[in-house]
Amino acid sequence: MMIWIAFALLTALAALSVLVPMARARKETVSPAANDAEVYRAQLHEVERDLERGLIDAEQAEGARTEIARRLIAAGRAGSSQESGEAKGETSLRFARLAAIAMLPLAAVGLYLELGSPDIPDQPLAARIAAADANTDINLLVAQVERHLAENPQDGRGWEVLAPVYMRLGRTTDAVNAYRSAIRLLGSDARRETDFGEALTIANQGLVSAEARVAFEKAVAADPKAAKPRFFLAIALGQEGKTQEAIAAWQALLADAEGNEPWVEVALSELKKIGGEPPAAASAPGPSVEDVEAAGAMSDEERAQMIGEMVARLDERLARDGGSAEEWMRLIRAYQVLGEKDKTAASVKRAAAALRDDPAASEALRSLAQEIGVPL
Amino acid sequence: MTRKQRRLTLIGSAGVVLALAAGLILYALNDQIVFFQSPTDIVARTIPEGSRIRLGGLVEEGSVTRGDNARVSFKVTDLEASVPVTYVGLLPDLFREGQGVVAEGVIGQDGIFHADKVLAKHDETYMPKEVADALKDKGVWQGEEKPK
Amino acid sequence: MIVEIGHYALVLAFVLSLVQSVVPVYGALKADNRLMATAAPVSGMLFLLVGLSFAALTAAYLSSDFSVVNVFENSHSAKPLVYKISGVWGNHEGSMLLWVLILVFFGSLVAAFGRNIPDVLKAATLGVQAWITAAFLAFILATSNPFLRLLPAPAEGQDLNPILQDLGLAIHPPLLYLGYVGFSITFAFAVAALILGRLDAAWARWVRPWALLAWLFLTLGISMGSYWAYYELGWGGWWFWDPVENASFMPWLAGTALLHSALVMEKRSALKIWTVLLAILTFSLSLLGTFLVRSGVLTSVHAFATDPARGVFILAILCVFIGGSLALYAWRAPALKQGGIFAPVSREGALVLNNLLLTAACVAVFVGTLYPLALEALANDKISVGPPFFNLTFGPIMVPLLMVVPFGQFLAWKRGDLLAVAQRLWAAFAVAIGAVLVVAWSQGVEHVLAALGIGLAFWVIAGSLSEILSRARFRDVGLATGIRRLAGLPRSAWGTVLGHAGLGVSVLGIVAATAFQTEAIRTLKPGETMTISGYDLTFRGIAPRRGPNYVEDVAHLEVRHGGTLVSELDPAKRVYPARQQPTTESAIATYGFSQLYLSVGEVRNDGGVDMRAYYKPLVTLIWLGTLVMAAGGVVSLSDRRLRVGAPKSGRAQPVPAE
Repeated sequence: MMIWIAFALLTALAALSVLVPMARARKETVSPAANDAEVYRAQLHEVERDLERGLIDAEQAEGARTEIARRLIAAGRAGSSQESGEAKGETSLRFARLAAIAMLPLAAVGLYLELGSPDIPDQPLAARIAAADANTDINLLVAQVERHLAENPQDGRGWEVLAPVYMRLGRTTDAVNAYRSAIRLLGSDARRETDFGEALTIANQGLVSAEARVAFEKAVAADPKAAKPRFFLAIALGQEGKTQEAIAAWQALLADAEGNEPWVEVALSELKKIGGEPPAAASAPGPSVEDVEAAGAMSDEERAQMIGEMVARLDERLARDGGSAEEWMRLIRAYQVLGEKDKTAASVKRAAAALRDDPAASEALRSLAQEIGVPL
Repeated sequence: MTRKQRRLTLIGSAGVVLALAAGLILYALNDQIVFFQSPTDIVARTIPEGSRIRLGGLVEEGSVTRGDNARVSFKVTDLEASVPVTYVGLLPDLFREGQGVVAEGVIGQDGIFHADKVLAKHDETYMPKEVADALKDKGVWQGEEKPK
Repeated sequence: MIVEIGHYALVLAFVLSLVQSVVPVYGALKADNRLMATAAPVSGMLFLLVGLSFAALTAAYLSSDFSVVNVFENSHSAKPLVYKISGVWGNHEGSMLLWVLILVFFGSLVAAFGRNIPDVLKAATLGVQAWITAAFLAFILATSNPFLRLLPAPAEGQDLNPILQDLGLAIHPPLLYLGYVGFSITFAFAVAALILGRLDAAWARWVRPWALLAWLFLTLGISMGSYWAYYELGWGGWWFWDPVENASFMPWLAGTALLHSALVMEKRSALKIWTVLLAILTFSLSLLGTFLVRSGVLTSVHAFATDPARGVFILAILCVFIGGSLALYAWRAPALKQGGIFAPVSREGALVLNNLLLTAACVAVFVGTLYPLALEALANDKISVGPPFFNLTFGPIMVPLLMVVPFGQFLAWKRGDLLAVAQRLWAAFAVAIGAVLVVAWSQGVEHVLAALGIGLAFWVIAGSLSEILSRARFRDVGLATGIRRLAGLPRSAWGTVLGHAGLGVSVLGIVAATAFQTEAIRTLKPGETMTISGYDLTFRGIAPRRGPNYVEDVAHLEVRHGGTLVSELDPAKRVYPARQQPTTESAIATYGFSQLYLSVGEVRNDGGVDMRAYYKPLVTLIWLGTLVMAAGGVVSLSDRRLRVGAPKSGRAQPVPAE
């Protein structure tokens, strides 16, 4: 309600700024020539002053005087011809009043209702944090911890607690910074370096950067048997195109595995992708690290279902929105790895149709089709 | 001088000044503008030695080596061809391997690009416009683009 | 509630500006006093409403109200207070709101202080100003509304570009906009005069103070922007001929021309057509600058906006206002009566030459700025027009301008005597030649161009000073009377001298800093020393440090000159975690008018740090000169003659002692 009173006050003020001066103004007009004449008279004074000071000589002064006098006369003439300008436009006056009283509020409120959100109150951060209970929005809890850390940036434990929360919220860049601070303050160990490297990799859309690699290498140095950092290092080797070394790394990693770890399937598919011999059974490509971790907690049946669902989702999206060459090829590989021969062939055809206009992608597609033995 | 003569003098001298300025601008446009080239352009075409160009592309991964006294050499690539570059000076804050870069300078007899100016991305989401366009032409660029 | 009140005030301002666009202009055409009377109060009301709106947005920034999309996108609760405030206009939406705020601010200034302006002209001018206001408010509401809300509100904002987190930049846009947008009022005056068909010497007198005010702010804004780029970007340059800089420089060149041609119009009633055209062109260039910077045509730090819808909208505004005003001009201008005549060699002639050269310079900058864009749009060729182009075109055009500046001040109106003026300028000429010889002798003959440049700077400074001294006539009247005569000179005369001398000072700084700059690039390990222009810089080490919202590695260096410690420098590499963006913080030590400029680069694995040091002689004169110019503007503005013209107050009230 308050807000509408405020709007009404503002609108009334605006309307009055039009109405009051109209009501108070004199009806007759003043000729602008009077202002002109004033300027020219002042100019004449200036000429006199300049002459007194000797800035101009008498001849120049005389010339200037004549010129200004001529303008002065012209202004006087213009003034007398306009003097009779008696205002008569009562209609226009009525229109102006109507504009101020009716159009101003109607148009302003109408437009505001279209654009504004009168029912959303102000939400200053300080008030929101004060109002936040323990079980409200996780974002606000994070904000609280952030405030604490802003004041005590040396609190390594705080950073360490915050980092995985950031990861869960998808704020990977913040997670990277938090892990970095935790390592700086609490020291490096295998787990922190691994988590740090993982955060960096996810923040980089799956690319293992040089910094992440260093972190994983530190983790392996601290704990040579740790699977996770070795897993990422193998991925890094693959990404760098060092195929032979990558194959060796995957094989070494798989050799140490018991076989039911969540990452094994990804490892197998990665290994297969770069042409290495898998020591054991086949698996599905492409899920993110979190998905794989989630898959680790499932039964084999559930896992197969999850993978199938993921592929179906990708398929659906590509059918609906289309996608990049890379995404199409991922789909083709997925079906191939899942052993769905028909769907593999069908997806190759669909990809060929979708990527028709892109010579480079078509070329890549052709070589993929050749590789997996599907006719294009 | 009559009134007419005065006006003619005025207009004439104005014409002379403007003509001189126009000539100067045209001459400078012919001589002083710098064309943008991708590494493929440079490898494919022969560029007259000593003419200034802007070279844009990505800094090739692992190609950056640093010498004494802020001398640095690296390769600029559009993932098809790459051109070696040397530069003496401080690299911009956002110069990184694998990221977009624009170098301005001349190609030497040795085929090495001697840059006297190096520009990098201005922030994390922005790549020098020319680089992004050139990479898009090559089908390499996959960055997100705002709908036009 | 505060946010929504700000939003409503903005909408109301838009509707009110529509009323203002029609009522007073119609009143002026019909000579109806009652309709015209609304112009001034409504202008004040518009300022109040937009001001309220701006204050509401500022309040949202201060309280980190992330339910406002604009605040969420451009602020962060950990940001220092002053940058929360500057964040209001550090983004597209907020800066457009500031743009309009300044637009209505100038309107209300004319309403409040333009008492000497005839009612008809004032009403029409404020009406035209309201057209611009309405167009830009429509732009804001349709494409760039800063008051859009977000539910549920995010817990933290996304910070501001750290490069923009700088005190100089916090003040830079407001000052630049004051100048840019200030020229809207001279545009409104010109269009109003064309509509009313009344253009005479008196008009020039009413417009001049407003042109001067806008010019003053624009001068300061450009100067501050240049200094910001100099110490923040870490490249040691102070002018890059970057399109964004050019966008503000073109209106400055045209505005400077306007100041001079308006003088001719006021004194001699000549150059009317040209002056009106300049008034239109100057603001058109301001609009063009706004378009270039705001539409995202140029991709650079300044171009925050990348949404093409905005570009098209501003382009439409640009076309309507420029096209419309030029059409009106083509229709009305031929009807104007011829003004006073003058000989080619006269004060008027000199001012015409000044206008020609400034216009040519403006055209050169215009071509260099737009040619690459046009070529890319039409031929898809990518080129860059860099400093070499501008040095080759702008430079040669400026040289004759600087040479004639002192002559212009001495020449009489109507018909001047070049020989007599030359005689009175011999002292200044001697000073200039002396400067050339001293520089050439001390720096070697290979610096002959630099020597000539410095001579030119001294010529301008000494020439403008000798004009004011010759007016005192110390030789004829003695010291005491001379000083009295100087004090009695009109303030506008002092303004001219300061403006021209400031220009000379800037030129001196530009030439010296460009020609005699020395540069050294070294990789230093702690304990090592590098030498530049007689200064020994010893690297003492590099250490991390934590700021309010960044972390940085600070290098520490000691500077010795002839063995004694003269200063300590702490350049740094800074990273803002919220955006993972590094910046370079250069360190500057000032000795007299010269500066030592140091920035750090890569830290090597072996502990070595890349350092780049410049010694820039007299570099601060570049900005000091612009301050002197601006001071000239202030002094001129205080000249009471610019306020003459009110029929009553002019005579009845005694003018207060100044």
